[in-house]
Amino acid sequence: MAESVNSLLLTSLCRAQHLDIDFRREYNHNVVLMMGEFEYLLITAADNLAENAYGAAIRPQIEATTGHKCSIGALYTTIDRLEKKGLLTTWMGDATPQRGGRAKRMVRVTAKGVREAKGFYEAVTGVSRGASWVANRTRGVS
Amino acid sequence: MTNAAWSVVEVASRSLHPDEREAVLGDLNERDESAWQGLLDVLGLVLRRQVTLWKSWQPWLTAFGVTVPCSFLLMGASLSICQSWLWFIDGRTLRSADLAAAWVLPILACHAALLLGWSWTAGFVVGSTSPRTLWVSAVLCCSPCMFCLARFQVPSLSRFCLLLFLLPATWGVRRGLRISRLRLSWAIALASATTLMIAFIGSSGTQRWWTPAAWILNATLTWPAWYLVLASTRLRKKTCGDSTEDGGSTT
Repeated sequence: MAESVNSLLLTSLCRAQHLDIDFRREYNHNVVLMMGEFEYLLITAADNLAENAYGAAIRPQIEATTGHKCSIGALYTTIDRLEKKGLLTTWMGDATPQRGGRAKRMVRVTAKGVREAKGFYEAVTGVSRGASWVANRTRGVS
Repeated sequence: MTNAAWSVVEVASRSLHPDEREAVLGDLNERDESAWQGLLDVLGLVLRRQVTLWKSWQPWLTAFGVTVPCSFLLMGASLSICQSWLWFIDGRTLRSADLAAAWVLPILACHAALLLGWSWTAGFVVGSTSPRTLWVSAVLCCSPCMFCLARFQVPSLSRFCLLLFLLPATWGVRRGLRISRLRLSWAIALASATTLMIAFIGSSGTQRWWTPAAWILNATLTWPAWYLVLASTRLRKKTCGDSTEDGGSTT
């Protein structure tokens, strides 16, 4: 129900911006399931880090982008959720002396993850086109 | 981090999955976070994991469907057995229940075996169904025990008679943590034996089995055994399904 309302809103917004993205159709075919913004941030950070993507490396990337602290709890629960959705794969890496001899949990974005992140990016950039903060206008500001 | 602070963080991380604990403690080390920040981070993750666990039905079932009712009833059963044993030694059972002397010992043994079976199966269900919320079940079991121990006033009996059920229950929990499911044949044998012993005790006339209280007592304490049968049946069906699928894919 929530998904169909979301898809309807997104489709209407895209139509208003003259974009041909039918989110209802996408949802119905289970092609695109919109991810959350934190999930998108995490996937993007992991993709940027490529072979060096693991918890302690992803956190500063997210913090630098958002300007907010990223807690370990939020990071690891989101990694688990994304792994269950098939958007990420994780495995235990090597232990290093700088980590006190403890192993890393390495992260890799799957092909499905790349597709979904691309879909999210296109939707957000598409729907943002013409917004006052993008076009640097002051419309709507009283 | 100082060693003492590090130990606190390590203790806090014990409820996490071993791989996750390794990764999280390594991350904290690598980022050289303060002990306080590390503790907050670990506790935050532990809290999130616990909240996620409690979204499923298993922790609720083990905590409020098994631990709470069974703790109270098993304390009563433990006390009853100790009292019966004392009466048996005194020779009062023969007079009070009008039982033939030959029946007294088998019925007492049956009561003891029932207590063992009920406690073990309840412990096994708690240990196998929701191992990561075991601490909640332990607290919920200890609270009524402490409450009853504090108010125990039977001069002829030691107050530790109340806790007789804890030994087999702990054994069951340990077993449940090791093997998540019983073999179906074992589960059926256990549940059938428990039910037959209840029937035997009922037919002997020592228990008023037809009263609602007796029905509730027996049903509450026996259902974990039948739950194990159901769980083993489901596992067996799933295993058979998986092996059929594997066979299908290879041919």
